[in-house]
Amino acid sequence: MMKTRAKWHLATVVLAVGLASAARAEEVTLTVWSHEADEAAKVALREQAAKNLEKSHPGVHVKITWYEKDGLNTALRTALPAGQGPDVFYVEPDQVEYITNGYIIPLDSLINWNNIYDWARQVWTHDGKTYALPEEAYTNELYYNRQLLAKLGAKLPDSAQFTQAEFLDIVKKARAADVTPIDQGVGDRPYPGAYIIGEALLRKLGLEDYGKLLNGKLSFEDPRVVEVFTWVKQLVDAGAYPKNFMTLKLGESHHYFYQKPGALMFPMGSFYTGRAFVPVEKGGQAPDFPIGIMQFPAMDKAACNECKTVAVGASFAINAASKHQDLAAAYLNELATPEMGKRWIETVYLQTAVKTGPTEFSGPYAGYFKELMERQKGAKYFTGMPVDILTGQCKDTFVQVMNKAFPGGLMSVDEAVKTMNQGCYKS
Amino acid sequence: MSASSGEGSRGASRTAIATFLAPALVVYAGFTLYPVLRTFYNSVHLFKERTQEFVGLRNFLDILTQDPVFWKAVGNTATFTIVGTIADVLGGLLLALCLFVGPPLSRPMRVIWFTPVLMSYVVVGIIWVWLYDYDWGLINVILRWLGLGAFEQSWLGDPRTALWAVLVTHLWKWLGFNMIVCLAALHALPGEVLGAAELDNCGWFAKLVYVIIPMLRPTLINLLVLSFIGKMMLFDLVWIMTGGGPLWSTETVSTYVYKRAFDWNTFDLGYPSAIAVLWSVMIVLFVAVMTRLLRSRDRLEF
Repeated sequence: MMKTRAKWHLATVVLAVGLASAARAEEVTLTVWSHEADEAAKVALREQAAKNLEKSHPGVHVKITWYEKDGLNTALRTALPAGQGPDVFYVEPDQVEYITNGYIIPLDSLINWNNIYDWARQVWTHDGKTYALPEEAYTNELYYNRQLLAKLGAKLPDSAQFTQAEFLDIVKKARAADVTPIDQGVGDRPYPGAYIIGEALLRKLGLEDYGKLLNGKLSFEDPRVVEVFTWVKQLVDAGAYPKNFMTLKLGESHHYFYQKPGALMFPMGSFYTGRAFVPVEKGGQAPDFPIGIMQFPAMDKAACNECKTVAVGASFAINAASKHQDLAAAYLNELATPEMGKRWIETVYLQTAVKTGPTEFSGPYAGYFKELMERQKGAKYFTGMPVDILTGQCKDTFVQVMNKAFPGGLMSVDEAVKTMNQGCYKS
Repeated sequence: MSASSGEGSRGASRTAIATFLAPALVVYAGFTLYPVLRTFYNSVHLFKERTQEFVGLRNFLDILTQDPVFWKAVGNTATFTIVGTIADVLGGLLLALCLFVGPPLSRPMRVIWFTPVLMSYVVVGIIWVWLYDYDWGLINVILRWLGLGAFEQSWLGDPRTALWAVLVTHLWKWLGFNMIVCLAALHALPGEVLGAAELDNCGWFAKLVYVIIPMLRPTLINLLVLSFIGKMMLFDLVWIMTGGGPLWSTETVSTYVYKRAFDWNTFDLGYPSAIAVLWSVMIVLFVAVMTRLLRSRDRLEF
């Protein structure tokens, strides 16, 4: 009797162990490495997509590891060449090296592209194949303090766009009134110092020639380019930028604009909201801050004064070495549903590459979004920030010259144009 | 059991020796030897589109003949190293001499001067970026307060001052270390020699030059070599404070290697590896020459 009972016990244990092993065999952990650990709304969205996938795929567990951008990129650069790394990871459009080195797979047949705007998909399309799912989109905007502008006696035209002469005049007036005309800092980023000059070049040259300039097919000694540099030099000499321009960091520059000491204008991507639309005690702008959005100035004899830059930010790609590529694609599809797109806009307060259909804005920032959408009317978009397009020596030269030294007042027009040509122009 | 049958002279078997050595050797091989060998291997290859092409010495030739930023970085690193090493050791020695004579508050001063050594470069870099800020940085605030507003500067934003500003920060961090080492060496000097010098009516300056410094020579040489090597490899402080800018005025060889490896949107580790190899060889050569020049032929015994 005892022997029989012992046998049954043994059989039960063996069965339980066997079942547990079988269950473990079916369990899959999908690994995701993501940047933006410090943006709670984005973290919540990506965690929600993970939960949705786990719900629709029993046995699947999604493990998201949160990084800061530099740490993520360093980890990926070590892991990918070794055939390691996560199934899914965060990428930005300037990281074309993942494509050229074959570390990420084409997603054309894996993603429901009906949910993604075509222009955003194009950003990730190389040689006819799409390599990443764009999630975040933004436009370059020129934010300003309505109250300060009124104090200076200036009135924004109906087009919301000053001419280049009017803009220079406002910069001079602001400086004379001891107000920083254009808040900007390049202490920790390779691009903010080039917002004004980049948007001016885009308007002056138009979509096609601006693209040629960034691709080394148009000389920086082109007279139109020199005219833009000369105008920007006038702004710099008029004291447009803060004295601590070189060391001011991106986060500090937000604070500088809407808290202390304050500035008239603040060129920034529309991801401005990520830092500004949080409680004041967490570094956000006051609820009654008189924020406005104007168009970047119209250039004389411009090819396209209605042009502006649109760019894709946060995107996700699938590791070519992943053993769970279908599941990885399923996770990306969870990120790209219209519901998630709507939730993105409502919680991140930023544009998205995901189609959401008509969205009703409400709450304290409804006015801001209305104005942001207003500034998009009739716009012709150039896709991609210069740092997304440039590579190698040209990118380094851009960072040193157009982002820092030239707006920082350290170079003449001739020196800047010559140095940019040496770094970028493929004659 | 005899030594020849597998037992060391102190009684440990070869197996035991191997067991104790193995963990350290594995770690050394994995984290030092392999990366070094791999860097040499990478330096003669071009990595592109998941393939590697043997290019021989082409990377080295390109570095030496077609790369102005490399030479700019070499110039900056050399300036930083020469000036920094001398200032570091001399400053540390002077501080140690101050404390050696036992002035009031010497204990708290020792702690205050040594504290920066315990701080990480990240913290030191961030603190000094704030101190150097044009608008609210303490240095410009003090200058304005003293009525010297004409001298205020964007210390890290001007190519003429940026490298020196970083150097001052580096000195602030490391002076305490040199001070403590020199102070320990001073306390270890034989009292009878110093006493004899005093009996001979040797003045303090003569005692310093003819007695103390010669006896401190081995310590000072070690400090010089350590400081020299550290500065030749300078990366973190520059990266945090200026990122190599403005206009490459603070670019060091190490920051340039990092940029070429990780910021240029390529996976080509060949070229940056070649810079690293070239620079390592130069450091070894410089250290060898320096040690030979500074080595005392007559061993001082006391």
